[in-house]
Amino acid sequence: MKLVFHPLLLFGLLVAVNLPNAATAAENEIDFQKQIQPLLAKHCYACHGPDEAESGLSFADKDSAFAEADSGDHAIVAGDVDSSLLIARILSDDEGEQMPPEGDRLSKEQIELLSKWIEQGANWKNHWGFEPLSDPAPPVVEAVQWQSNGIDAFVYQGLHRAGMKPNAPASKQALIRRLYYSLTGLPPTAEQVQSFVNDQSPDAYQQRVNDLLAAPQYGEHWGRHWLDLVHFAETNSYERDGPKPNAWKYRDYVIRSFNDDKPYDQFVREQLAGDELEEVTVDTLTATGFYRLGIWDDEPADGLQAKFDGFDDIITTTGQVFLGLTLNCARCHDHKIDPIPQTDYYSYLSFFQDLTPYGVRGNGTGFNQIDVTSDEVKAAYRANDAKRVELEKLIREIEQAGIAKMSAPDQRATEGPRRDRQRVLKAKLKDNLDGDQWTRYNDLKQQFTANAEAAKKLPAREQVLGVARYERVDKPMNVLFRGSPHSPADEVQPRFPELFDAANPEFPQRESTTEQSTGRRTVLADWITSDDNRLTARVMVNRIWQFHFGRGIVRSSNNFGQLGTPPTHPELLDYLANRFIESDYSVKAMHRLILNSKTYQMSSRGTDAGMAADPNNDLLWRFDPRRLSSEEVRDSMLAASGSLNLKSYGPSIYPKLSREAMSGQSRPGSGWGNSSPEDQNRRSVYIYVKRSLLTPLLSAFDFPDPDVTCEGRFMTLQPSQALSLLNGEFAHQQAVRMRQTYGGEGVSDEAFVKATIRGAISRDAEPAEVSDGVAFIQKLQQTHGVSAEKAKDLYCLSVLNWNEFLFVD
Amino acid sequence: MKPKKRNFCGRTRREFLWQGGCGFGAAALSSMLAKDNVLSAADNQPGSLNPLAAKLPHFAPKAKSVIFLFMYGGPSHMDTFDYKPKMTGMDGKTVDVKTFGRGGKRTGGRIVEPRWKFSQHGECGKWVSSLFPNLANHVDDIAFLHSMTADSPIHGSAMLMMNSGKILSGSPALGSWVNYGLGSENENLPGYVVMLDPKAGPISGAKNWSSGYMPASYAGTVFRGQGSPILNLSRPDGVSEAMQREMIDSIQSANQRHMESRVHNSDLASRIASYELAYKMQSAAPESVDLADEDEKTKQLYGIDNPETNDFGTRCLIARRLVDRGVRFIQLYSGGAHNDDNWDAHGDLELNHNRHAGRTDLPIAGLLKDLKQRGMLDETLVVWGGEFGRQPTAEYAKGSGRDHNSYGFTMWMAGGGIKGGVSYGTTDELGAAAVEKPLHVKNLHATVLQLMGLDPNNLSYFFSGLDQKLVGVEHVEPIREIMA
Repeated sequence: MKLVFHPLLLFGLLVAVNLPNAATAAENEIDFQKQIQPLLAKHCYACHGPDEAESGLSFADKDSAFAEADSGDHAIVAGDVDSSLLIARILSDDEGEQMPPEGDRLSKEQIELLSKWIEQGANWKNHWGFEPLSDPAPPVVEAVQWQSNGIDAFVYQGLHRAGMKPNAPASKQALIRRLYYSLTGLPPTAEQVQSFVNDQSPDAYQQRVNDLLAAPQYGEHWGRHWLDLVHFAETNSYERDGPKPNAWKYRDYVIRSFNDDKPYDQFVREQLAGDELEEVTVDTLTATGFYRLGIWDDEPADGLQAKFDGFDDIITTTGQVFLGLTLNCARCHDHKIDPIPQTDYYSYLSFFQDLTPYGVRGNGTGFNQIDVTSDEVKAAYRANDAKRVELEKLIREIEQAGIAKMSAPDQRATEGPRRDRQRVLKAKLKDNLDGDQWTRYNDLKQQFTANAEAAKKLPAREQVLGVARYERVDKPMNVLFRGSPHSPADEVQPRFPELFDAANPEFPQRESTTEQSTGRRTVLADWITSDDNRLTARVMVNRIWQFHFGRGIVRSSNNFGQLGTPPTHPELLDYLANRFIESDYSVKAMHRLILNSKTYQMSSRGTDAGMAADPNNDLLWRFDPRRLSSEEVRDSMLAASGSLNLKSYGPSIYPKLSREAMSGQSRPGSGWGNSSPEDQNRRSVYIYVKRSLLTPLLSAFDFPDPDVTCEGRFMTLQPSQALSLLNGEFAHQQAVRMRQTYGGEGVSDEAFVKATIRGAISRDAEPAEVSDGVAFIQKLQQTHGVSAEKAKDLYCLSVLNWNEFLFVD
Repeated sequence: MKPKKRNFCGRTRREFLWQGGCGFGAAALSSMLAKDNVLSAADNQPGSLNPLAAKLPHFAPKAKSVIFLFMYGGPSHMDTFDYKPKMTGMDGKTVDVKTFGRGGKRTGGRIVEPRWKFSQHGECGKWVSSLFPNLANHVDDIAFLHSMTADSPIHGSAMLMMNSGKILSGSPALGSWVNYGLGSENENLPGYVVMLDPKAGPISGAKNWSSGYMPASYAGTVFRGQGSPILNLSRPDGVSEAMQREMIDSIQSANQRHMESRVHNSDLASRIASYELAYKMQSAAPESVDLADEDEKTKQLYGIDNPETNDFGTRCLIARRLVDRGVRFIQLYSGGAHNDDNWDAHGDLELNHNRHAGRTDLPIAGLLKDLKQRGMLDETLVVWGGEFGRQPTAEYAKGSGRDHNSYGFTMWMAGGGIKGGVSYGTTDELGAAAVEKPLHVKNLHATVLQLMGLDPNNLSYFFSGLDQKLVGVEHVEPIREIMA
């Protein structure tokens, strides 16, 4: 028995998995893709799916599902519930008969749904995500103003069918704040809000959209979305959690790509094969930093296993991020749910076979630092390096000869930190060497120093993080039995996953060496970005949608497979994918299309009718309000205090962390740098991402774990957030700066409160807020005896804690 | 009953529930909200709002809380609880034995004879070395696991394995799984507390108590025994409790105004409630570490009166107080930083183990005794061990230092649901590798979950297309023979 049940099913909390909601139910036909297929996938596929067909029965495709099982019966007989063994076995009380055989029974509602579907003729459709892209025309709708933008027509139609109406437009104040956060992750100033509210020109809104898309802050915000997906980090995790030199250049590459509106297909090709393209540039080489973002254990217990764990990360990330496919589930066996056999996994892996691991012990940078300096300078460095390596080797040989004669604690010390080693060597090496050795040792040390001096005089070398060396590919990849690299089985060739029915790829004939790649990744990249790839465009437009609306049309944006959530608006998804392809994959064009829709501009207000009919807002009757992301929280506080430094690009910055935050490290403070106060005021996207020391303020607000791809942030409202805004040093620092900014000499309390609210949330204060604020400031002074300054500090801090500060309508 | 609207990382309510009422959207305080009538009863479904709200186990639990005493660095099993009489008199002899440690794989070496005398204790007659004279009095409450194995003999990956079941970083820790499965009984305290050695944290730091792909609500919270226990918990200088209350009231009144026209956005109410919880935590957490109301006898029991045992004893006593207050999972690190600041005895075995056993023996014995006399041991599972054990042979040409050993090592469990006076599994006569009834870290994890009332093979979290489990995809048996 292989069915896997989630504990919550056992808890009995999950009552109605896929009940049609009130909006769509009525007496409509059951929707196989939305209502039946997910039930079968979750409850039946583990034993009767693409991997296993126990008793000759599989629900993986229509033919198998309707075929005669080993027993001679049929699980599904269209229109005839009584003859359909599926229902009989689910209803059975006999323990040997009952399906599923373990865990909770299906709920009454689920069984009714299945029965009704069979009754209605058991209409079967192939999985939407694996079907070729269609190009549906927007429907004609009765509301004229919902016709001109295709998005609106699809959304209106969905609402209309459910007897619902879209919300009224958002107020101009709400809309402009929403737009600023959507595109730049920063709040508008009060002046920017006012100017928009007063601007009566017909293209006032469009103009703002264009301006914000042109602002460098746009790329910083949208680049960060991408960094979540590729799990960007600047260290390797594990004991040393050592730095990945020049990782920030990949981050800048991403930000620049969004700012330049680099076509998405090109963006994908550069990351997958930037070292192989017809025109290789520093930029495209930097893009291959994509492959170097993962965790890396520099002393793995099982090196071969670690190598394939590295490949698995690349397969997981490329599969889910570019294709919305969980190819990673087919590492040890055929995919349990989707039609992805295990051979697909290893065929797909073959495209990446020439990738070296991030590094090997003793060579932490050789595979991942691409030298992009001029040839002459390179040659000079190479010669100097060779000399240094040679000298180091000779020096170490003599040292080890001496060390071998030392006591155990001394030997141990020489293996510890460099400082300890030097101490022991300085004190005891001479005594453990003979005269010749000692002379030669000193001579070598002199040469070493001279060589190091020479290196310092060379012009600076420039390196980027990426694929710097290749693995020579001289044999085909094998399927690995149960995923173990120690159990190679059948050979496979690089091939696209079967479900795409793609022709076998052709590869350039060229020799694979450590200096030359196989060219296979270009072939993969070309296929992924071809216009007729059924997933690539869908997956990306869905992400763009998600980052504007808070949820994708497909909510499981990394999983377009059969355990993913079906699209709420399947036709709209394909419509957008087509527009994306037509625009040559312009992300900014997609923004314009979405942002200029009435759907985006709707009010977020709830209505009783809307909440009753469609509480999840599946049909998009309103705009979903949201909490700010971790970066938005921090950046907005800096903006409110007037200290935000908008400097773009460059090496990462280190905000000051408290001693407590560092006390969890085995060497407190290690690997964390110092930045100037100005740099510490820069946007959060530039904060150094150290895997074992994430910035606590960002973590509190759900900054994701950078070891795995994150399709969307959690949005928790936990008390540690309140504590960091009430008691945290950063919040207090911003509050003091706000008081300094808004409460200069001779400013009345009333004026101060007004200015603070205007500065923090970009609108004029209400009279009640002004009187409350003034009363608060005065009470603190009178009742608690604090200074006027302190009282104002705390008032500023309180405003930073307002829900209005942290939520977008 | 109408389901609430949620935006859980772009997922539907269906998935939200499926994923276990995780922290999306409104990680705050359903019970408090119910008390304050902020939310209607329909909205207040168990597990749907507060990710740490108490949840029903899969079956009746034997234990309610776990205290994991993590002997960081890897204590030597043959010098502590895994008696190897055949090694007596073999010191310095060269033997053929396969080992794998930080120094790589070797096929033989020089025996380091155990440096401490063993004697029998308790009704079960358990052999314990003189490193643990106090703990030896409790062997009849303890089940020893002598055949433990792990996948890596290297600190970084081995620590991750002992804490999260995987050598790859990025997965949730055992404590996160327990809290995900059961929630916390005390809303004013974190459900998963980590107390570190005063010297420093372990290798990989926060990675060891990370919630990985789960929401941060399930991550371990570092608790300090002195001063302010939690980051950002104490009010800044010059802000009194009354002033802060004044400020929170002012924030809440602004929030109420803001919410009036947004009644259908329940996240706003949840965030309002989170401030009340934060406010309460500021008194609940310091109270839990304040030992003023413990009598002198109790403090002596834990060795708090002795400088050598003061730190670990204090943390053990705090652990008991946290259990008292409903905290589910508490992890204490013995040792921090590097080398001889923890159990990583590469150089001088005697110096190292005398130091760390000396600091922990009495406090741990005190903890077991105190739990027992208070009737709490039955419901509190105590786990002892490091990320691996040590090799029978010497690491260097001279000296007594031992390298790491993940082929065989000892851990023990006591209390909640554990049969005492039991020794399970064996290593070979040198203690080099597990031979009888070998156990994997996964079996240990499965046992912890099982005793907490969670089915280890069914406790799953949907991520990356898979029902992820602490114990992995293959079925893993808990160690039933040590269960009472």
